[in-house]
Amino acid sequence: MTGIGPVEPVNSPETNESHDTIGTDAPHLTDRIADLWAGLTPRTRTAAIATAVAGAVAAAATLIPQVSGDSESPAPVPWPANVTTWRYLGFAAPHNSGATSGRYHFAVTVDHGPPVTLRISGTAFPGLTAHALPEPAFTVAASTTRKITVRISVSDCSELPLNADLPFLDVTLRNTRAIQHHSFIFGGTFSRDLSVLLHGACDRAADGPGPRPSGSANSQHVDGVEIPPNRPTAPRALVRPPRRHNKNVTSELAAMPLSAYRA
Amino acid sequence: MRRSLVILTSVLATGALTLTACGSRDDNGGGDSAGGDTTTLTIGVDAPLSGENSTTGLGIQYGAQIAVDDANKNKLVPGVTFKLKAFDDKAQPATGQSNATSITGDKTAVGAVGPLNSGVAQSMQQVFASANMVQISPSNTNPELTQGKNWQTDKKRPFKTYFRTATTDELQGSFAADYAINGLKKKSVFVVDDKQTYGAGLAKIFTEQFKKLGGKVVETDHVNTGDKDFGSLVTKIKNSKADLLYYGGQYDESALLSKQMKDGGVKIPLFGGDGMFASTYIEAGGAATEGDLATAIGVPADTLPAAKQFIETYKAKGYKGDYGAYGAYSYDAATAIINAVKAVVDANGGKVPTDMTDLRTKVVDEVQKSDFQGLSGKVSFDEYGDTTNKQLTVYQVVKGEWKAVKTGTADLN
Repeated sequence: MTGIGPVEPVNSPETNESHDTIGTDAPHLTDRIADLWAGLTPRTRTAAIATAVAGAVAAAATLIPQVSGDSESPAPVPWPANVTTWRYLGFAAPHNSGATSGRYHFAVTVDHGPPVTLRISGTAFPGLTAHALPEPAFTVAASTTRKITVRISVSDCSELPLNADLPFLDVTLRNTRAIQHHSFIFGGTFSRDLSVLLHGACDRAADGPGPRPSGSANSQHVDGVEIPPNRPTAPRALVRPPRRHNKNVTSELAAMPLSAYRA
Repeated sequence: MRRSLVILTSVLATGALTLTACGSRDDNGGGDSAGGDTTTLTIGVDAPLSGENSTTGLGIQYGAQIAVDDANKNKLVPGVTFKLKAFDDKAQPATGQSNATSITGDKTAVGAVGPLNSGVAQSMQQVFASANMVQISPSNTNPELTQGKNWQTDKKRPFKTYFRTATTDELQGSFAADYAINGLKKKSVFVVDDKQTYGAGLAKIFTEQFKKLGGKVVETDHVNTGDKDFGSLVTKIKNSKADLLYYGGQYDESALLSKQMKDGGVKIPLFGGDGMFASTYIEAGGAATEGDLATAIGVPADTLPAAKQFIETYKAKGYKGDYGAYGAYSYDAATAIINAVKAVVDANGGKVPTDMTDLRTKVVDEVQKSDFQGLSGKVSFDEYGDTTNKQLTVYQVVKGEWKAVKTGTADLN
């Protein structure tokens, strides 16, 4: 494989090389020991030999367990996305019909390795924004699961498919190994819960324009507003929120643009 | 002075020998196999080992080979020596079925790894099911293989003996559609497939998701596997004014299509699935493939620390083929079978069951319970036999190499 992944090395211990300083002009060790040895009496030499042999045996007994233990290199620090999992838990608060933002609970687990700091950088579509509460960045330690709340806001209905099958959160993950930009994709329950928000926010924007087909048959049912089906062009919005707007605009029916072709 | 040095050297040498001897004992410690009797069990591997698709097929063969070698070297199952027997299906369903019959007819075979192609797998599944022998594919991505024909509305597992370590096209097609719309900002796509189970299935899922996300499919067409001349298709693509070509199929045809399309003045990227993710795609298509894209299962092997040794071994052995796409997944598939055998042997008092039918049946059950850290991450299977490891990567050809541009992990519950 030639791909290197969207990663950035960060203070990797594996790249933190150290260098021993060797080589000086001092006398060689063997020469100095030989000079010292020549100056000893025969009796002292015999005692020294016995002591050295005993010392060697003792050193071997002491060192061998350490040597065999050190031969196994420490486990490499994992890339953060490979040890982090997200699981959707459900709505964090009752969803209000027509609201343009919702709060959702997720369980974030880091399996092993150093702590991982996460920040949500985006979500499935350009018309949505997402961030964690109360702080946008949070850290999860190894072997722990942290329950977090994510607020997702609708900023522009014109680019939103109302029934996305596999919505995702774009997350930046960081540990001592790397910074990674990774998508966490969700099926079933989160897909349905997010659709509730999208329908509530965008179905109600009855008079907004929509530059392209999106949504489903469900999106035609808007309380109290008659929508002619499959009209060729949608009327222009009277009020259009800024593209990156992420505040609540819950009751402004005309504020959100609407898909033009809703079949 | 000289005698002193001799004595000193003797002392140091004695110490060194002591250390060396102790080290040897340590190396040889453990793993004392019982009785000296060993049973040889065969694991079959089926993939295209020659002709079309063989680059990735060989990666599957040698990925499994390294797993078997590691298990034997480490005496993972005391008293059992594993042997890998490779079969070339030439990417042909009929050949794959014949190979499945050969594998299940081998009285020493406990399971099989493969095949590469979903269409070939369809022809093999029933054979393995009839023999109650486990089959684990490291690369099949068509959802029907595990979830049945009506997988979108009523999932039903067709064969309890079939598993896979690769995630499905349900995820891959959706991931590609999302990247095409939100990453590449493409709005109109021309979709081509090779009419095979894998290629047509992936193209269909991509098409559905691309439309759901607001994109427009301006035209669709098909090619035959083995086609070399795509002149008329290039003209259609040019006239369609599409800003992206999506291709469901393998690298053999798509590399030529990309080259002929760019040579014909159609400067739009070609985007495909894991069947295209091979070094051969870039080698065959040359500079024309620059900017083309492919989704692939899993995350880049470079980010998987456990895969480092595997890659080094693969290179050191001089194995042919491309380990990048499925090598690690093949290693994990073979290891799942080996671990299952170990569980059966352990539960049988450390002995291999003498009844081969009984052994095969129990191995299927133990594979279903798999739960270990493989090269590609955690290896376990859901109720359909699908891997629970649902990771994907979008790669793009940058300066003549596949470079990861987006990675993702799915939780579909």
